[in-house]
Amino acid sequence: MQPVSRRVALSVGLAAMALSIPVSASAQTPKDSVVVCQTLEPPILDPTGGAAAAIREVTYDNIFETLLAFNGEGRIEPRLAEKIDSSADGLTHTITLRAGVTFHDGTPLTADDVKFSFERAMAPDSKNSQKWIFAPIAGIEARDARTVVITLKSAVGDFVDGLAWADATIFSAKSADKAGTEPVGTGPYQFVRWNRGDRLLLKRNDNYWGKKPAIANATFRFISDPQAQVAALTAGDCDAHTNLSAPEAVPQLRANPNLRVTIGRTEGETIVAMNNGKAPFNNPKVREAISMAIDRAQVNEGAISGFGTLIGTHFSPNHPAYVDLTGAVKYDPAAARKLLAEAGFPNGFSATLRLPPPAYAQRGGEIVAAMLGQIGIKVSIEPVQWAQWLERVYRQRDYDLTIVAHVEPLDINIYARDGYYFGYASEAVKDAVARTKSAKTEAERFTAYRDAQRRITADFANVYLFMLPKITVSRAGLKGMWSNWPVPANPLGQLSWE
Amino acid sequence: MIAFLARRLVTLLTTLAVAALVIFGVTEVLPGDPAAVMLGLTATPETVAALRAELGLDAPMLVRFLAWIGGFFTGNLGVSYAYRVPVAGLIAERLQVTAPLALLASLFASSIGITLGALAASRANSAVDSLLMAGAQVGLAIPNFWFGILMVLVFAIGLGWFPAGGFPGWESGLLDGLQALFLPALALALPQAAVLARLTRTAVLEALGEDFVRTARAKGLTAAQTLRRHVLRNAMVPVVTMMALQFSFLVTGTIIIENVFALPGLGRLIFQSVGGHDLVTVKSLVMIYVGCVMVVNAIVDMTYGLIDPRLRFGRGVGR
Amino acid sequence: MIHRALRHPSFVVGLAITLMVLLIAILAVFWTPHDPTAIRISARLRPPSATNWLGTDQFGRDVFSMLILGARNALLVGIVAVGIGLSIGVALGMVAATGEGSLLDEGIMRVCDFTFAFPAVLTAILILTFLGPGLVNAIIAIGIFNIPVFARIARGAALQVMARDYIRAARAAGRSTPGILARHVLPNITGILIVQASVQFALAILAEAGLSYLGIGTQPPNPSWGRMLNDSQTFLAQAPTLALFPGAAIALAVLGFNMLGDGLRDVLDPKSLER
Repeated sequence: MQPVSRRVALSVGLAAMALSIPVSASAQTPKDSVVVCQTLEPPILDPTGGAAAAIREVTYDNIFETLLAFNGEGRIEPRLAEKIDSSADGLTHTITLRAGVTFHDGTPLTADDVKFSFERAMAPDSKNSQKWIFAPIAGIEARDARTVVITLKSAVGDFVDGLAWADATIFSAKSADKAGTEPVGTGPYQFVRWNRGDRLLLKRNDNYWGKKPAIANATFRFISDPQAQVAALTAGDCDAHTNLSAPEAVPQLRANPNLRVTIGRTEGETIVAMNNGKAPFNNPKVREAISMAIDRAQVNEGAISGFGTLIGTHFSPNHPAYVDLTGAVKYDPAAARKLLAEAGFPNGFSATLRLPPPAYAQRGGEIVAAMLGQIGIKVSIEPVQWAQWLERVYRQRDYDLTIVAHVEPLDINIYARDGYYFGYASEAVKDAVARTKSAKTEAERFTAYRDAQRRITADFANVYLFMLPKITVSRAGLKGMWSNWPVPANPLGQLSWE
Repeated sequence: MIAFLARRLVTLLTTLAVAALVIFGVTEVLPGDPAAVMLGLTATPETVAALRAELGLDAPMLVRFLAWIGGFFTGNLGVSYAYRVPVAGLIAERLQVTAPLALLASLFASSIGITLGALAASRANSAVDSLLMAGAQVGLAIPNFWFGILMVLVFAIGLGWFPAGGFPGWESGLLDGLQALFLPALALALPQAAVLARLTRTAVLEALGEDFVRTARAKGLTAAQTLRRHVLRNAMVPVVTMMALQFSFLVTGTIIIENVFALPGLGRLIFQSVGGHDLVTVKSLVMIYVGCVMVVNAIVDMTYGLIDPRLRFGRGVGR
Repeated sequence: MIHRALRHPSFVVGLAITLMVLLIAILAVFWTPHDPTAIRISARLRPPSATNWLGTDQFGRDVFSMLILGARNALLVGIVAVGIGLSIGVALGMVAATGEGSLLDEGIMRVCDFTFAFPAVLTAILILTFLGPGLVNAIIAIGIFNIPVFARIARGAALQVMARDYIRAARAAGRSTPGILARHVLPNITGILIVQASVQFALAILAEAGLSYLGIGTQPPNPSWGRMLNDSQTFLAQAPTLALFPGAAIALAVLGFNMLGDGLRDVLDPKSLER
């Protein structure tokens, strides 16, 4: 043992010098396998049994498939459905299934599976997190083995689009119960093994109905620690990371000839949420003062190294109906202090900022707290685990301020929900959101979205910071990683080695 | 003697029972509804209620407690809230990382600590001795997670000899597994090695002053032979005892070290389960940790009572 | 005895280090070169320079200022956590000792045994999840584990002292138990308590650093060495010095208190109880 310990002591002393030495190529991966690393581990693998994005990141278009599916550009394309014929009144949708599709256990896909899956999602005890998709359904009929007819209670503009969500995954009645732990789907990859806390192994489905994937064996590794992510990429333990949590490491990784870095978009509006229902945040002047005191460019720079896209409202700039409202509130601490005095707080007040675990929230929170300190608001930071955040902030609305990214696409409708944790209520927004559902034309729908955006910004409902970036890192030679996340997904079937 | 063992055993069982009660009580009053937590942002009250029923959260407290205790004997510890797999299997899986890690760390700690301690004693009051003891003093002061970070910096990021974190699983080969555990085990072993080095030095010096050493030297054995054959063996009793008593530090040390190196072991599981309010998993894990420490301490006590009858009526060793 | 102490190398070095840490901590209360909470994104991750002696962190805060304010927090944790242990633990230990063999003694010692069996880090994590993270709660969690340590030591030492003839004489002379404890027992066990307090102080600093490293101890903007280490881990490659200074600060402070304890133990020697 002695020689070893001596070497340890010596080398620790040399720590600073040893830093820049590149890493051996010992971890070369054979060219038909890939190790994709991601930050969070899914709690379960059934996308209809939990809201966690990590479930979708592993299973969507890999193990499980939907009737329609999002591609990397956010456009919807057919998947298990060959075509969908919608009646002129928008009430009847006739779905024709692709022929020759089987589940991983050999069971053929039939119209009954679609009926079963949707009825399972609609059941009162279902844990599906997007029940709105199925809410308009009046009846589902399996007309023949390959034809499903869905009738709606009323015409809903985005009903068919909803079928592309992971929450509308198609299961076989035989294996659906075990989807959480031993998933059986129709996708290009089948489940092999899950070493919880570490990795999940998939292998190519050789009976896949579609194009045969290039990668035969795929591994998802789960590394939540930002530094460990960088280290694993540098050491060659990961062939790719789906969304790096250490934006500050990007220059370092870019300098590495073995790695490629792309900065893409997600649908994650990152906001400083204010409890609109609670004093003093129920006073619009206070909310305006807070909005003016926060320099979102600085927060973007300090929290995520400036890789985010600044926003001025709760809407994704990727969407054609987006309105650029970043200039609606100008950073002006002096004016903010004056406003605060007008609102009756010449000496400021104290508030708590509850922060969930992700780095963007933790770091952003420190900066926001310091900025609010400048106008006299004494902010104390309270980090919470997701569990407590969900319980106290989201469910009980027991908070003053919080920072969180809302990652679901087109989620401005949350401002119309009664009892939502923002405590925000506006008839104008409710009306606009209702119009997005009932709109007959795209133009009408977009106008409604724009109205809603302008309204929430004018009310200073929350402070809108930036869209979370997707920082994709992949080993040189690996092609096909999604650079944007229109929905959380990492379809492995598109990957290949050069 | 049997009375002594029986008494100690009864004490152990009572303590374990009280511990179980305390742990159960505490985990059941932690704030937060696990069902709501698992379902996430958009769950409706009905789905939360459905999950509560599925997880058996509606049963009376006493029934749940007894079912849990029984589970330790039948291997049925319930289903993890977060992972929805049996907790027993989850623990068995994670134990494959933590048990070898703790073992490896003990191995490092004892081999490094005893060797250096004996070396220091054999050259007592020399420059080597002073240097080694100063080193041990520093080893005690360095937080093991900082040591871990420094080693990642040098050996993983810098030299690339070891992975920076994570565990490939034993199925990728013994060597890969050991390689992944090497740095964490070393970081974990540092303070233990320092403690053992100091203790070994003292114990060896004490033993060197005993009569049998003089006899052995008189018989014509060299100093080195005497050290190996007589002194170390006698000095080992307190050293081994200390190792057993340090077990609880080693075990809890894994919680932090597994977080530094992202190892999928029990320590990381417990940190994640606490954060995720996976109370089913938390309570069984804590019980296992506490149980291990209690059993090891009891064994040390009993062994000591057997070796030295005077201690049978006292409060035991190391207190 | 002071002469003996001043010739003891471990004691001298330990005392020097602890005094230095203490002075720095006091200094930090009144003065830091920069505001340790002032965020300047444009000046982030600067290497050590004449303006920022140890460089700046990921928010452009001055690392040196944070480090010395961190010393204040580390000492605060040590003082309060050990204080909790000393006050409650010694009281319990003395009560147990006076009623040796009684149900109360048995009860107190059983609870102590029981607390010992709970791994401290694990329980602290549970407590902090329950109470919420933060400096105050971390101090409470650490302090709780100091109680049985001092209770046992106080009980053992008090029993030794009380077995002596002059205590029996005092008792025979009709002195009250509290009087005996205060006048005769407590002064005689101070030495051993100080030695242990020094060791526990070092352990408390380590424990706080560990909990803050895990993110459940001291919260920003209040600087903490463990928290600084945690933050630095993401910037290891760009700014390795960020990981060096806080770790070295923890090690130095712990080293100081450990050496002081070792030195005191030798100087005061349990035999000094015979005095």
